[in-house]
Amino acid sequence: MESPVTRLPTRRRTKSYGRSCFEASSRFAYTSGQLTILRIPTTREAPRARNIAERVDPEQVTLLIKNEWKLSYVTPLYRFRHTHLKKYSKHLSAFIAAEKQQGTAVEVGLETGYRVTFSTVLGIAETDEDAETVFIQIQSKPMFAATGDALKVVWSGWLTCVNGSPEYLHSLLPDFVSLPLFCSSGPENITVVVKSWFEKMFDCRFGSLGLDSTSLQWLCALWTGCHPDNNIRYLRLLWTLPTQPPLDVSYTVNPQDAWELWNSVRQEDSVDGTVGIDEVKHFMAGLESHFFRHFKIYLSSGTLRKVSTALGSAQQDGKVKILCSDYLATVLTLLTECAILKMPI
Amino acid sequence: MDETTRTVLQRVVRKVPATRLREVLRTWGRVPARQLDLLDFSTSKFVLFEDVRSLCEVNSNRLTLKHVCELEMIYFIGNPAQGVWRACHLTEPDDDVMTVELRQFKEQFKARLTELISNVSVKIKKHDDEAVWIRIAWGDHFHRPNQLKPTYVVHHLQTPYVFVYNLSTKHKPLLYQALVLATRHGSMKDSHLSGKSLTSIRDFLMRSYQQAFPTKYARPLQEKNTAPTNPNIEKEHAEQEEKRLQLACEAFGEGNVPRLETATYKLETRYRGSGNETLNNREEPFRALIKFSSANLLVSLNHCVSAGMAETPVTPLLSSITQKGKNYFVITDKGSGNSSQSMVQKK
Repeated sequence: MESPVTRLPTRRRTKSYGRSCFEASSRFAYTSGQLTILRIPTTREAPRARNIAERVDPEQVTLLIKNEWKLSYVTPLYRFRHTHLKKYSKHLSAFIAAEKQQGTAVEVGLETGYRVTFSTVLGIAETDEDAETVFIQIQSKPMFAATGDALKVVWSGWLTCVNGSPEYLHSLLPDFVSLPLFCSSGPENITVVVKSWFEKMFDCRFGSLGLDSTSLQWLCALWTGCHPDNNIRYLRLLWTLPTQPPLDVSYTVNPQDAWELWNSVRQEDSVDGTVGIDEVKHFMAGLESHFFRHFKIYLSSGTLRKVSTALGSAQQDGKVKILCSDYLATVLTLLTECAILKMPI
Repeated sequence: MDETTRTVLQRVVRKVPATRLREVLRTWGRVPARQLDLLDFSTSKFVLFEDVRSLCEVNSNRLTLKHVCELEMIYFIGNPAQGVWRACHLTEPDDDVMTVELRQFKEQFKARLTELISNVSVKIKKHDDEAVWIRIAWGDHFHRPNQLKPTYVVHHLQTPYVFVYNLSTKHKPLLYQALVLATRHGSMKDSHLSGKSLTSIRDFLMRSYQQAFPTKYARPLQEKNTAPTNPNIEKEHAEQEEKRLQLACEAFGEGNVPRLETATYKLETRYRGSGNETLNNREEPFRALIKFSSANLLVSLNHCVSAGMAETPVTPLLSSITQKGKNYFVITDKGSGNSSQSMVQKK
């Protein structure tokens, strides 16, 4: 079976940021143009369970795995400094306050102000090229709060880069920091304000990041492969067929059976810690053909919308939940890659 | 008005949309229509509740729980689509099953249920369409009946069908036993059919919807005025399309079909994928749960088949929904262990 991935056009990196919306003083020069080809990988490292708590502060890890995140991509940040986070915190709070006065941000309850905290999550980055992850938390100060009252977290978000393509990262001009994956959780109006602040401060651009069916299939296979080490409890796939009204098909597979199917499609020569796209496609075809034999319905006529296991879930519209921190690196590597590929370069 | 009566009344006032509240209160008849007309139904539910409560207290000096439960039933009978209804089937009828009439059923049912459980409150009301509506609030030895989470049961006398709303597994055997005895049947079982619309699952079970039957001759093709580009290809396509549509309608009904939301299949069959020797040779079943859901499942499935997203003929697994009147199935291999590839549905 020919995998559809190989047929996708390669992306070119030329100087085409084309941001006419910024005034002439835009600090954007041009990229060096060294990078000409960015390929979608056809093999990946098999996920290995790692106790992330050894490298990352466990308290920070719980912040990352608690929420459902909405994904976006971000173009490289110009003159972003990890040493200036305190300054950014103040700037962003002031910016939100100003926006609120203009009436762009809708009030959430009776807050008088927001407190913004930028922090670095050390240890998420995998290679030396990866920039350290930045976590942003926005808390609201209630109007009639007693001094001892805890602040309420109203929004959180983070920018990260895990195993970013070295060719891509090398091709960046100095002064640019690439944190291509942006995850946010909270009211949409705050997300909009935070994004516009970043765009003004660091001359970057945000765009929504959906997950195509190939990415979802990768996650499905990678998570299933974790089963012997970490019980996935279930493998659930959700398709939507374009009937009138739309027909949702949810397919939940027993974890052990899913793993045995995955194990049977693994090729002899690739057991040395990598997973190939052919294996992923075979696995999905195996699941779909078992379904077809029973219901005679072509799942391929619909779209794969969601994949979930006890380790996490991912949706076509770019919503991701990571429930087990052991495979954080695997999932974030895949998402970083999607973000870099989605970027207009 | 005691505390429970007050709470139930408050619940009902909150639940009923303001636009319908006047009508519901009028049907109830505890407050004179003249006074109802003076009420302002556009105020907040909190104010409205206080108004309704004071009106009730002025007009009927002893408004009891019974009256308020009746109000709730009136609203519920008019708007039964608020949660999931399950269908049940009474089996093994006695010889005198046709003689059961309403008053006798009422007495029998109440008597049987109170024999089984001490703290229970039952209210029975007959609706215009011959259906008997039963509201049951359950308690136990130590607790008074919980009026806030009642179970509703709908039964058409002299039919084997019973529809149940909000019944816990704990109370299931009690209700079943009381119903079986009161309706003069031998036993009662789950029909494995559930849906949000009571009328739909009732019509579905009683097959009161338009059905298509297999015919030897295809229906006449519509006459077309435009000259076809390639008559042979067009004819062949039209024929196939016609055939798919006919098969889809045979399997899932046509026109205005009852509204079902889901169909669930528990697969305990051997792996049937193609080109996977390891799993094909495995004896144990490949366990999976398939759930189809849609705003109107039968219409979606019909479209799926007629549009060619599914292969024809329609698999018995899907056509069983209408043929057996069920939407929950457990599928196993015929004679587990042998190599037979046919599937059976467990009863």
